[in-house]
Amino acid sequence: MSAIARTNVMDLTAPAIEITDLNKYYGTFHALRSINLTVSKGEKVVVCGPSGSGKSTMIRCINQLEEHDSGAIRVFGTQLDDNLGSIDEIRREVGMVFQQFNLFPHMTVLENCTLAPMLVRKISRAEAEATAMRYLEKVRIPDQAQKFPGQLSGGQQQRVAIARALCMQPEILLFDEPTSALDPEMIAEVLDVMVTLAQEGMTMVCVTHEMGFARKVADRVIFMDKGEIIEEAPPEEFFGQPKSDRTRLFLSQVLGH
Amino acid sequence: MTGPSFLRSRAFRRVTLQAGFVAGLLLLVLAATLTARTNLATQGLTSGFDFLWKSTGWEMNFSLLPTTTADPYWWYLLMGLMNTLFMGTLGLAGASVLGLVVGLMRSGRNPAARLLGTIYIEIFRNLPLILQLFFWYAMANALPAPRASIAFGGALINARGLYLPGLMVGPGTVALAVLSGLVGLGLAIWVLTARRFNRVEPRGQRRVALLAVLAGLIGAGVFVVLGHDPADAWVTLPALQGLKIDGGFRIQPEFYALAIAITTYGAAYVGEIVRGGFKSVGRGQMEAAAALGLSSWHIFTRVRLPLAFRAMLPILINQYVWLIKATTLGIAVGFSDFFMVIASSINHSGQTFEFIGILMAGFLLINFSLAAVLNRLNRAIALKGHQTTGSA
Amino acid sequence: MTASSLPGGQSARLRRLRRDYFGSPLAVLMTLLSAAVIAWIGWFLLDWGVIRATFGADGTQETCVAHGGACWSVIAVRWRVILFGIYPYEEQWRSALACVVVGVVILLSCLPRMWSFGRLALVWVLGTVIFYTLMRGGVLGLVPVNEQQWGGLPLTLFIFVATGIIGMPLAIGLALLRRSEYPVIARVTGWIIDTIRSLPLLSILFTCAIVLPFMLPGFLIGEKLYRVLFGAALFFAAYQAEIIRGGFQGIPKGQEEAAKALGLTYWHRTFRIVLPQAFRLALPATINQFVIAFMETSLIVVVGFMELLAAGNTAFKTGEWKFAYAEVYVFIAAIYFAFVFGLSRYGAYLEARMNVGHRKD
Ligand SMILES: Nc1ncnc2c1ncn2[C@@H]1O[C@H](COP(=O)(O)OP(=O)(O)OP(=O)(O)O)[C@@H](O)[C@H]1O
Ligand SMILES: [Mg+2]
Repeated sequence: MSAIARTNVMDLTAPAIEITDLNKYYGTFHALRSINLTVSKGEKVVVCGPSGSGKSTMIRCINQLEEHDSGAIRVFGTQLDDNLGSIDEIRREVGMVFQQFNLFPHMTVLENCTLAPMLVRKISRAEAEATAMRYLEKVRIPDQAQKFPGQLSGGQQQRVAIARALCMQPEILLFDEPTSALDPEMIAEVLDVMVTLAQEGMTMVCVTHEMGFARKVADRVIFMDKGEIIEEAPPEEFFGQPKSDRTRLFLSQVLGH
Repeated sequence: MTGPSFLRSRAFRRVTLQAGFVAGLLLLVLAATLTARTNLATQGLTSGFDFLWKSTGWEMNFSLLPTTTADPYWWYLLMGLMNTLFMGTLGLAGASVLGLVVGLMRSGRNPAARLLGTIYIEIFRNLPLILQLFFWYAMANALPAPRASIAFGGALINARGLYLPGLMVGPGTVALAVLSGLVGLGLAIWVLTARRFNRVEPRGQRRVALLAVLAGLIGAGVFVVLGHDPADAWVTLPALQGLKIDGGFRIQPEFYALAIAITTYGAAYVGEIVRGGFKSVGRGQMEAAAALGLSSWHIFTRVRLPLAFRAMLPILINQYVWLIKATTLGIAVGFSDFFMVIASSINHSGQTFEFIGILMAGFLLINFSLAAVLNRLNRAIALKGHQTTGSA
Repeated sequence: MTASSLPGGQSARLRRLRRDYFGSPLAVLMTLLSAAVIAWIGWFLLDWGVIRATFGADGTQETCVAHGGACWSVIAVRWRVILFGIYPYEEQWRSALACVVVGVVILLSCLPRMWSFGRLALVWVLGTVIFYTLMRGGVLGLVPVNEQQWGGLPLTLFIFVATGIIGMPLAIGLALLRRSEYPVIARVTGWIIDTIRSLPLLSILFTCAIVLPFMLPGFLIGEKLYRVLFGAALFFAAYQAEIIRGGFQGIPKGQEEAAKALGLTYWHRTFRIVLPQAFRLALPATINQFVIAFMETSLIVVVGFMELLAAGNTAFKTGEWKFAYAEVYVFIAAIYFAFVFGLSRYGAYLEARMNVGHRKD
């Protein structure tokens, strides 16, 4: 799939993500309560739930932007524990797209995309730029490569952010509400890119309230509330016959207007 | 890269890095202390604070209370600290008043006044303070000799200093009178600003504040009358007697040169802070006040000034701390501030480390207490529910 | 379309001017008073400094006093002492050249295209090396000149440049330690910075000059000049570290998170993502700090060095020129003013430029 040599620790036959009995506290506040979740390679999982339910916290634990307090997280068989080496390794294979884009404002679009491959994967500039242009074409903005992020629209910025994550050629992509900061007319262009990625077989964990997107591409939808996973089902079932009252209430609020 | 795995663990790193940092610093301090001790021992110097009770044997050229060469070091240090605080207070007050004037000139609409304010700020802010101090001091020394003193309003000025007419009372009396006045003023400010009096009728509040100030002044008067020796005349006027000046109070060139330098230099900075404060007040607030029919005086005193002051205060705090530290320049012209007393003490006694320790402790104390008081004031008047504006 | 290009513009502007200058009795008073003061200062300077002044190297106290104005002869006669101190007379061309080198370094670092760590470091280190070689000599056939003989403008510039070149990396280090994720390191560094900031610079210079030799092993004591320089740099660093910290606080948290998510290491995150943005945010305050550092080089007279100000003092402390202190101080002030005013104007220009950039975003 890629020209980049993978480190040998990753076991691509193991489940992409395996979370068992995960707990996380902010001080005394119990933010995640024994979360269990397995995502296999190529699977697309959509996570939804009310504000403050711990969705961001959970996916940020996967690449250790948040440290968890107990439980185990394995990515392709590599366990995320106290070891900084395993954290570095996993961040190389797990890309992330943020609600606020978080592009580096002092670098051009192209530099944003080539920085990490050159520094982390240690590939040459020429190769990194070629890869970057390929992915910028994929997100349909190759002509903006020399601009600075501040000169792009929100939708364009988010597509650059996706391209930037792809340039590391990750096995897994995490999305934390990628369309929530966008004006309605820009949401579609970002979702289109995400659908394309899903169809190409990328493993994706996506926190979003875009239920249309969930219906279209998700293999599974997960509903969280108060730090717990309440319900976990394929989209038809999740939207058709939700089991829990809380899910039903949430769906009526999200779909109601 | 792949060593033993515990080397790459977060917990291990957290402990070793923090412990290593602290240990490294402690080691540095320890090494310095040990080296210093052996060096002092080879020079036959002893450490300890016994010298504080020995008499100094040298003269202090300016102090608020009397000093003689027989006084012990601790008394000199105390007097030096008082000189620093005195000069600092004077400089702070002068810089604030002059700075407010300059800042108002700079933020007003009158172009001529604005130009004058700008000239002032650009000159005084862009030259090193010590250069300005040297200039004032050289000028003070270039004044005519005593027999050709320049007289104005009962005062005399010459190369030996500025001679002011004064009341014939002792320094203790002056201290009590000043204290009484300050207590009255403090009470008044407290009554006007404390939250607990927010619900009192403003007019009543002002009346009580006025009363407090009056009481302070009357107290000061009473102290002066009680402290006055009936055998003496009430006032003393400076006059030429042969080749020197008799009577009055002499202010040394070192003192007023430093006071002028700190005041004028500080005012340039305060002026810029004041202008920044006024600039930060949104036009909307003033228009709203005008729309309510407030007079321009009321708009200024009730809306513009209070809002601007809140924006200025955090930056002013830094500037005030800076100005207090600037009094150490006294050593360049020979004014006995805290730092100069320390430096002379080191020269005469050789107790280098002890005095440096006292110096640092003294300035940490002054600056932390000043910053603490002002920060409290800042928090007390901060607008609730607003981001505090960041300091410079 | 400005107001003045409209037909009614001319009179509207006139009306506004009349209102600003003479709108109320208070305004009239202010205008008259300010104008009078400005006119008086202007006339005084013209009269004293030019009309009744004495120029040329042959002026003496008698001729100057007879003219009644400034006595610029003191500058004409003593300028080499003021500018170069007691540096050997025949070698003073080296001092002059060294000043030019520093000037070029400062000018180069004001060009935006030089703003990368590598380029700035290169220019400053190279500049310092050339400066030091010229001043110190002992190589390339230059006569060695001891640091104790350095003086005047080159010494002032040397202190300034060295303060920056030692102080800036120190400041970055302190700022990074202060924002460390490890609370003990962050807190202890905070204490150190706050302590240094609340001490007067003079007391730090004094400590470095007098006390440090006691505490250092013999091989580290070195020249007094370098110890004092270290003190000045430390003081600069404590202030600059807080300025950089202010810059850190202006960067959204997401920046570092995105860098982490891409797998960048701590050093890459810090030097590629965080510091460049922090420096940009802190640029106006940084320039201001450099301006202050330049003015504070003059404090070094107190610990016994012949920098510009002290050299000026010696220039008029000899009997024959004793009366001409004002002229000497005006001359020195003009040098400081040119530098400081230029640098702060440049800072204001940068700030304005950055604000314009922001609005476009
Ligand atoms: N750094 C933090 N410190 C303390 N509490 C936090 C922190 N981050 C999150 N929390 C709390 O943890 C809970 C879960 O937060 P999280 O951001 O994961 O929610 P979320 O489901 O992503 O919500 P949203 O849809 O609003 O993004 C919230 O109650 C939040 O207040
Ligand atoms: Mg969230």
